[in-house]
Amino acid sequence: MTLSRTFVDELRAVLGREHVVTEPEQLRVYECDGLTGHRAVPELVVLPDSTGDVQAVLRACTREGVPFVARGAGTGLSGGATPIAGGVVVSLARMNRILEVDLESQRMVVEPGVANLDVTRAVAADGFFYAPDPSSQQVCTIGGNVAENSGGAHCLKYGFTTHHVTGLTFVLPDGEVLELGGKALDPDGPDLLGIVVGSEGTLGIVTRITLRVVRTPQTIRTLLAGFPTMDAAGAAVSGIVAAGVMPSAIEMMDRLTLEAAERAVAPGYPANAGAVLLVELDGVVEQVEDDAAEVERICAESGAFEIRAATSDADRALLWKGRKSAFAAMGRVATDYYVQDGVVPRTRLPEVLRRIEELSQQHGLLVGNVFHAGDGNLHPLVLYDSGAGETERARELAEAILDACMDVGGSLTGEHGVGMDKACSMPRMFSERDLRAFERLRRAFDPVGICNPGKVIPTPRLCGEVPGPYRAHALERIGVAERL
Amino acid sequence: MPSVSSVEEASAALAAAHAEGRRLRIGADLTTDGLDHILEHDPGDLTCTVEAGVRLSELQAVLAAAGQRLSLDPPGDPTIGALLARNVSGPLRHRFGAPRDLVLGVTLVLGDGTIANAGGKVVKNVAGYDLARLVCGSEGRLALIARASFRLHPLPKATQTLVVETDDVAGAAASLLRSQVQPSALDVLHPGRVVVLVEGSQRAVDAQMTTTRGLVGGDVGDAAVWAESRAWQEEALGRIHFSPGDLADVLAGLGRAVVRPAAGVAYTVERADEAGRPPGQALVDRIAAELDPRGVLAA
Repeated sequence: MTLSRTFVDELRAVLGREHVVTEPEQLRVYECDGLTGHRAVPELVVLPDSTGDVQAVLRACTREGVPFVARGAGTGLSGGATPIAGGVVVSLARMNRILEVDLESQRMVVEPGVANLDVTRAVAADGFFYAPDPSSQQVCTIGGNVAENSGGAHCLKYGFTTHHVTGLTFVLPDGEVLELGGKALDPDGPDLLGIVVGSEGTLGIVTRITLRVVRTPQTIRTLLAGFPTMDAAGAAVSGIVAAGVMPSAIEMMDRLTLEAAERAVAPGYPANAGAVLLVELDGVVEQVEDDAAEVERICAESGAFEIRAATSDADRALLWKGRKSAFAAMGRVATDYYVQDGVVPRTRLPEVLRRIEELSQQHGLLVGNVFHAGDGNLHPLVLYDSGAGETERARELAEAILDACMDVGGSLTGEHGVGMDKACSMPRMFSERDLRAFERLRRAFDPVGICNPGKVIPTPRLCGEVPGPYRAHALERIGVAERL
Repeated sequence: MPSVSSVEEASAALAAAHAEGRRLRIGADLTTDGLDHILEHDPGDLTCTVEAGVRLSELQAVLAAAGQRLSLDPPGDPTIGALLARNVSGPLRHRFGAPRDLVLGVTLVLGDGTIANAGGKVVKNVAGYDLARLVCGSEGRLALIARASFRLHPLPKATQTLVVETDDVAGAAASLLRSQVQPSALDVLHPGRVVVLVEGSQRAVDAQMTTTRGLVGGDVGDAAVWAESRAWQEEALGRIHFSPGDLADVLAGLGRAVVRPAAGVAYTVERADEAGRPPGQALVDRIAAELDPRGVLAA
């Protein structure tokens, strides 16, 4: 597709010449997001600065039938921001202002290009924080978080982006601007905020977001427990959940990831552990103390041979160090890896982990497990060497792992999104009629089919293609972001 | 009134109405009271899947036997279908959210009889469009809700209620919201009372009561005050939304009302109409036209 001269001129007139990118070498910067195996060079990249700008861009796209894709920081892992060849990328990078901090209401109003961590930074001194904390939070944007309904390690207690967005300014593909919600919760009528959050940029573009910020807890305590086996650690997770304790995070690492982390950053985790659990508790001091005692008892009963606890920020950071570096550390173990994002019911964790180990042996490839155990969100890392022709086998293994998650009633994706990466896997979780219902919903927003087409819902064209090997994302290489 | 007792029956009823171009209003022309099974409750996973005709009280009784609850306490005893269709919550909204916050997945029957699932039964899932949230608050217009999965919470080991009688309810509420106490409910019964529910371990409840009373005074109250709050809410003729920071100004203009200050929602005894068509109504109409092309479920 070649865009008409008048289309490009019109956007230049609205946005200013310097905010319409047409040079091939500059366009290549936008050819992929964190799913680096999928690439496509857009025809045009535009950088709007206001809701009015976005509206003008989308009106022009609708008139000319040009597909567009919104983009934040490009850290998404499912290809939600992969460009459409011949289409337009709408980068929200310039719209990065914090518009309002209203602590009396415990709300903030921000533009989509604001980085996740900057929301917390703006209110931390006043004793508040923004709860969703995806691992890329230093760079990933609120707009991208809204698109993906991002979670993070602490969503176990605090919920996902959808629980923290109370209002949106939303531009439909035809340019209509809607104000949804506001600072109050529970607006009347069907939950339009709920359908837009997590729609992976396929229903329109969000240009302003009202967020809930939360009072910082009285105390935070981090516990680290070393177990001889994954089974024992898995049993402890089930025990904690069943006991009615509500930690803010429960993270697990297996032997392979522990060894890699030890070599990379030497966090000094318990030697010879087959699995390590990190449990974080926060809230009122007495509750945290009681829960910590309960968690320690359950861990010990499940076979933990060493338990450490920390409450100061510095000591807690030390306990988290190995976990936070785990993904980067895997780069030392293998040249390539593929991350899955399946979810299983928490009680099925031990059996699914055993199944993953079997599949790993059958395929002759190593799988590292470092994941959000508290909510059953697995992130198996399939390690392979694309140079040795292992790519296809790795893909098969990754698919087999997803099947194992589906077999126990789980989900294809807990937080990374469907995007391009898993669109073709959607029929494993949803029937043909379920997918048709999704299409009908989408048509109400985007009747022409120009808003991030080819994502989320499988199409024959898309599903005939095979993704390329994983390559480290630019932000990972420089150590700003990690993948989970 | 005809009642369906399986998802397939619901599908057949809607497909027939669709074919004949006939209206079929949920709750009026057709009920889901016969969809009355609790399909799954996995205590270890803190999740459950139930049919739409199950009464909330029936579900809570089953969950309580396993030491758990669905953390929703709306007035009355709605069916699960009505709970979602109205997105109605009670005092526990303060900490645990509305139905839209706790629903994990749904089975819907669209206006043409199509059975469609969305979401799932695990606590974390971002696959596909969140139709489970979309139908919350839809009043039965977008689809028939046939079954739903929910996230559950453990029953608290201890609970206590604090009643604060004060001329400055807005000041008391603001001071609690600004503090680090984490109540499960915080209602303003306007005029004159703030009621607080604390839950958790006995030690944590005692400590929170001490902290709270240090901040705003008040006395240990009877848990019956929560029934009173729900009764006011049920009798209310109006519901208004406001920025939580504007609480004092909003209360100054209100008659008797139950107010959930953190949510920015007030249930007013007097009628209080907000501006006509809510924003996005045209979009809702387009969604309805796609999901229910012949308007079988239209009001």
